[in-house]
Amino acid sequence: MMRYAGQALRSLLALPTLAWMLLFFLIPLGLVVVYSFATISLVTYNISFGWTLSNYRQIHDPLYFNTLTRSIFLSISATLGCLLLGFPLAYFISRQPSRWQKLLLVLVIVPFWTSFIVRTYAIVNLIDNGGPLQHFLHALHVLSGPLNILYTPKGIALGIVYSYLPLMVLPIYVSLERIDYNLVDAANDLGANPRRTFRRVTLPLAMPGVVVGCIIVGIPALGEYVIPEILGGGKTLMLGNVITDQFLSVGDYPFGSAIAVALMVVMALALIVFRLTQRRAAPS
Amino acid sequence: MNDLPHRPLSPAGTMRRRELLARAAQMGIALPALGALGAACGSSSSSSSPPSSSGPPKGTAVLLNYQGWMGKHTVADFEKAYPGAGIKQASLGSISSGAVVPQIKANMSTYDAALGDQAVTGQGVAADIIQPLDWSKIPNIKNVDEKFRSAYTHGIPTDYGKTGIGYRTDLVSEPINSWADLWNLAPKYSGKIVFTDLDRDCIGSALRYKGYSVNTTNQNELNQALQALIDIKPHLQALKSYNIGQGLAQGSYAIAMDWDYDIALAQQDNPHIKWVLPSEGASAYLEGFFAVKNTPQIEVLEAFFNFFLEPKQYADFVNTTGTAFVSNAATPYIDKTIAQNPALIVDPATLANVEFENYLGEATAAYNKLWDQFKSA
Repeated sequence: MMRYAGQALRSLLALPTLAWMLLFFLIPLGLVVVYSFATISLVTYNISFGWTLSNYRQIHDPLYFNTLTRSIFLSISATLGCLLLGFPLAYFISRQPSRWQKLLLVLVIVPFWTSFIVRTYAIVNLIDNGGPLQHFLHALHVLSGPLNILYTPKGIALGIVYSYLPLMVLPIYVSLERIDYNLVDAANDLGANPRRTFRRVTLPLAMPGVVVGCIIVGIPALGEYVIPEILGGGKTLMLGNVITDQFLSVGDYPFGSAIAVALMVVMALALIVFRLTQRRAAPS
Repeated sequence: MNDLPHRPLSPAGTMRRRELLARAAQMGIALPALGALGAACGSSSSSSSPPSSSGPPKGTAVLLNYQGWMGKHTVADFEKAYPGAGIKQASLGSISSGAVVPQIKANMSTYDAALGDQAVTGQGVAADIIQPLDWSKIPNIKNVDEKFRSAYTHGIPTDYGKTGIGYRTDLVSEPINSWADLWNLAPKYSGKIVFTDLDRDCIGSALRYKGYSVNTTNQNELNQALQALIDIKPHLQALKSYNIGQGLAQGSYAIAMDWDYDIALAQQDNPHIKWVLPSEGASAYLEGFFAVKNTPQIEVLEAFFNFFLEPKQYADFVNTTGTAFVSNAATPYIDKTIAQNPALIVDPATLANVEFENYLGEATAAYNKLWDQFKSA
């Protein structure tokens, strides 16, 4: 009896969160799905709810399909960039003495103390022609002319990597920090060279962190619209910008909703494929 | 997309073009004018008296407006002159003016009035959200120049703006007098040119370059404009919707498609900036306040609109925002740096060379698509 009462109490504790999620996540999400099948007159702004697929057909227009492809490519590039920079950093931190680890983790998180918008505008000054990054590369003799990456897709990718890097470092660090390094020593004792040890021991054990990092970087990057707007100079059309325009400028809520739903489906499919490949890889 | 020249940069929290302007103005650019406005700040003229027929208006009207797009003292002075009446300003934050009509349509009881240009009011008429005004209660409409009054009939015109060219005479050796000059010089100044990130202004300028109306619905003409924009895109450093003049003043680029008042503001920072009204003509917007259909605050709004158009109050609005103005009656009270600036001055020759952007109805979709094609190219 007491056990049931305890369970009921625990359920009650979850109620506010569940109500919150229902009101501010599930219902709005359901509305977006319903709107995606509706039609709107862009003259009178009267909405007719129904089950038309015309909004989804519009996405097949090469203009928007190419935009989707561009967004996916940029998201993958930025995720790989975060992974290539984040893994060594997380590995380095995890191999430091405990007190140094804490300090280094704080340094990783420090950028989050500043507004996201402010940080993105700061990048404009950093990567602008004649800015500090250009001077630095000139000093290293890596570059001689202007940098020319601000207001280009490269600039957008750089901005996403900069902004999302901590989200990649933290989960990888958690995985690496939990590794029993006796396993690494054992691999070395058994004759594995450092590269093989990393590939067969360290990396598989860090994989859960890598997967989480890729998901929490890749998914928001796919729908990112602030960074492309600021660092892309308005010249690169991304799917996040198309959705924003449809809602906030054109007023075509059904088409905007259809793109948003399509983007969610792409993300869900990517997660499912990721999960399946992991399961297949796990037994081996 | 119906983005008019007031579309903010999209991310939430980003400083809007007009917000910047207003802040700049508040930080001192318009200060010289404020002294001259002393009398206007604390009093109102006889024409602001409440209508005698139905007694003083009571209630608070919600005005959907751009942040900072109001005279520094206008609302406070109005509320002092009309005890019991008030104006509460609301803003859509990061939402562009293209969203004004859908927003009002979806929340008819939330707003009593809004700021919008001709395209917005055209949309508003089609969507049946505009309340006609009783002009007998707004006698100060006579202060608005006829050209603007006849072009903006669904509310009171407040301001207008032209999309022209600003360039640095010390960085560009050739004179620029037309859109053709800009397009021809683009390869030489590649990467040093910025265009506005607003569809109607940008497409409208390309249409004028090709010799067509900024309101054309002819697909062939629109295609030619698109091709012209695609041709020049590799030479553009960026498309910007705010702080264009500031970048020009700082030398981040040498040539810019920009709005008159933004160039006028930048000229105060750098005298090498020259404003050009292109010989082929310029795209322009004309905006104002209109009442939302069936608003219960119509009397408050009509009193406020009349008050707003008093020369001294209107001058407060112009001096605060730095906009090109629509009432020559207010000129004596407007800061000379604004009133005498060639970019902002209201004269028949200038007005003959601008074409206002109208509501395009179903054809709006073609502009939306063209804009996405340009961005995606």
